Amino acid sequence: MNSYKIKFEAALKRIQKPARYVGNEFNSVHKKNFLELVKFAFCFPDVYEVGMSHLGMKILYHMMNEREDTVCERVFAPWVDMEEEMRKDGIPLLSLESHVPVKEFDIVGFTLQYEMSYSNILNMLDLAEIPLKSAERKENDPFVCAGGPCAYNGEPIADIVDFFILGEGEEVNNEFLDVYKEWKAAGESRTEYLERIAKIEGIYVPAFYDVEYNADNTVKSVTPNREGVPSKIKKRIVKELDNSYVLDKMIVPFMDIVHDRITLEIFRGCIRGCRFCQAGYLYRPVREHSVDKLVETAQKLIDNTGYEEMSLSSLSTSDFTCLQELIDRLLPITVDKRINLSLPSLRVDNFSMELMEKVQTVKKSGLTFAPEAGTQRLRDVINKNVLEEDLLRTAGIAFDGGYNRIKLYFMIGLPTETMEDVEGIAELAEKVIGVFYQIPKEIRKGRSVTVTVSTSSFVPKPFTPFQWEPQDRMETLVEKQNFLKQRIKSRNISYNWHQSHTSFLEAVFAKGDRRLSKVLIAAQKKGCRFDGWDEHFSYEKWLEAFADCGIDPEFYAYRRIEHDEVLPWDHIDIGVSKSFLVKEHEKAYEEKTTPSCREGCAGCGAASFGGGVCFE
Amino acid sequence: MSKWRLKFSKKGMGKYISHLDLLRTFTRAIHRANLPVRYSQGFNPHQLITFSLPLALGVTSETEFVDIDFEETASPREIGEALNKTLPPDIRILRISRPELSANDIVSARYEIDLSTSTTVEKATLEAFFAQENIPALKKTKKGEKEVNLRDFIVECEVSEVCGNKVKLNIVLSAGGSANIKPDIVLGKLALYLGFEEFEEMNIHRTEIFCSSGKEIKNFC
Repeated sequence: MNSYKIKFEAALKRIQKPARYVGNEFNSVHKKNFLELVKFAFCFPDVYEVGMSHLGMKILYHMMNEREDTVCERVFAPWVDMEEEMRKDGIPLLSLESHVPVKEFDIVGFTLQYEMSYSNILNMLDLAEIPLKSAERKENDPFVCAGGPCAYNGEPIADIVDFFILGEGEEVNNEFLDVYKEWKAAGESRTEYLERIAKIEGIYVPAFYDVEYNADNTVKSVTPNREGVPSKIKKRIVKELDNSYVLDKMIVPFMDIVHDRITLEIFRGCIRGCRFCQAGYLYRPVREHSVDKLVETAQKLIDNTGYEEMSLSSLSTSDFTCLQELIDRLLPITVDKRINLSLPSLRVDNFSMELMEKVQTVKKSGLTFAPEAGTQRLRDVINKNVLEEDLLRTAGIAFDGGYNRIKLYFMIGLPTETMEDVEGIAELAEKVIGVFYQIPKEIRKGRSVTVTVSTSSFVPKPFTPFQWEPQDRMETLVEKQNFLKQRIKSRNISYNWHQSHTSFLEAVFAKGDRRLSKVLIAAQKKGCRFDGWDEHFSYEKWLEAFADCGIDPEFYAYRRIEHDEVLPWDHIDIGVSKSFLVKEHEKAYEEKTTPSCREGCAGCGAASFGGGVCFE
Repeated sequence: MSKWRLKFSKKGMGKYISHLDLLRTFTRAIHRANLPVRYSQGFNPHQLITFSLPLALGVTSETEFVDIDFEETASPREIGEALNKTLPPDIRILRISRPELSANDIVSARYEIDLSTSTTVEKATLEAFFAQENIPALKKTKKGEKEVNLRDFIVECEVSEVCGNKVKLNIVLSAGGSANIKPDIVLGKLALYLGFEEFEEMNIHRTEIFCSSGKEIKNFC
């Protein structure tokens, strides 16, 4: 046994939750001829329980492992207790399946789910003993790639990542793995591999582009620095979901994870177009699975996992065109096996109790809705086409049906927001309580009602109509939170809010450019990691890192950007045109809404992909 | 009667599956195997599964027991074959029989222990540790920590082999409802007695479970 393996096993006895690091779960893939294969390390920059709950990783893991010439193994960020042991004993970052050092893999891929995980990426590379900067990697080092929602503006980690994968990986991943074999056989240099894959649609090699800046620190231009690379990189999508790789098995972890259940993906994208929501634009156009395929897949997932719960997954469950039919056909195969079916992401405008009665056969816990803003005016600004009547009607139906807990999600700091809009949140919550007490005592189920109000702070995101908006200053956000706290009078309402420091950094990195790479490197050296976890987040260390690099974070988060300014992500094409986003931004200020894709095409540009809702 | 007692082993990395996780692992393996398991009545029905004696995290075993209620239709051979396909490879069903003895009567368990230390140790020193009349230690209970005499929990102890810095022990410790001690507490005290903060390597393996039956002590089955 290698010496690091002995040390690794010894460390397992001193740390919490060793199950995070041992692997061997049911359905995990272990390939015997490891050394002969193209080795891909799939890294999730958070702890096991979080990473194992992510659907995208499960899809790509099994898809890549179906290739006989490739092995894909998982890697998670070690929790702080394990990291301490690893650094003390010189144990490098290991893959979960074979416990092989990550630096022995050919390609190391990170999934970028949220900006606050960037420090974990750097920390994992450091633990893996892979040079942090792509320019410093040698011929024998692995290639580092990254995909997922944050990759669309991956500029803050442009100096760290060798190539980005823009869009859905089902096709692109197979293409860059094929090219890897050809390149390896040809015995070419590192740069030559990147030059080969830069020709694949959806692959972005940041080192092949030069960024020039204006005197005022804004971006002047982003231009290719060699022949054969596109000046604009377009995302990739799967046109027909049913015909692409469909996940029919999942790893079943031993330990409890965040989402410990079958996730059945019913569609991708969202027809709504809420103006703050990045996912709503990134994943366009909406593409659905057929009911036949879903029922067939559900049966396989049940047989292959033994899970006792199945959750339908999408950005907005109730917008699935054949939801009723799907549920009617899923119930017979779930009820017999005592599997609970759950429906997250419901909207208040098309909620039906009949549907809820059918699926929630056992547990009647809470319901969650997201009105996002407290007044109709502001809901129109953000294009959240939800009316107060819809919410109150839905609350009434739910209370009649025996629910007595409702969670409401809001955002504060939205563009054009006034204190009146903030107060509207408290008023709306009070009205929901009022609906409960209007029901005669004899009929009411449960003696009292609880409404939980949660507010997150608005973060302007690239590729949304609000990408040009400044974020509210932290002081303003705290003031608004305190104001709302005072306005909530009822003891039946509880209020949760988000740390504004994290939201500020999220805005900085969401809209950042590649000059932020050095800040990330400085922050990692200072010990920043697990920034998404309050107990490990240190705002002071981040401020020091910015100061050391001579970079003002407020420039990225608090500045109103003009429509004609060059954005750090302008060379990335998600299929939604900039002119459409400008139009939506202007309509927001006119308080005008835009109908959903199914009510009428607004001409966003996603039809260029030639599929999905655009051609229904 | 539809209750079967399954004897199983838990080896390799399987030692890191905690007691709670083990229950989940069995539940899902039974589900995957499509076995006719029986469920409890009531608001939140669950499979009728009971483990005879929890195994501490990090300990391997060749003699674990779980009682599962199946419908009459399931034969022990079917149950065993199906579960060995759907359980993770580190857990193997070894035998299935009707329960003979009650888990409430479990009194002790035998462990084979392999240790390695940073410097050479003498057999006599190890034996002197076990010969002490009083070995005070803190034991975690539901209400907090309690001071106990470890000697009261050590039923048998044999220093089987000492070779340089490698030590083999074979010990029987109290286990079950009335008195129970985890082997790592005893080994922690032993390490301190020998002058080490902890052992370099420590492999603990459970080989037998005993219970009282009348005046006799029998192997649990």
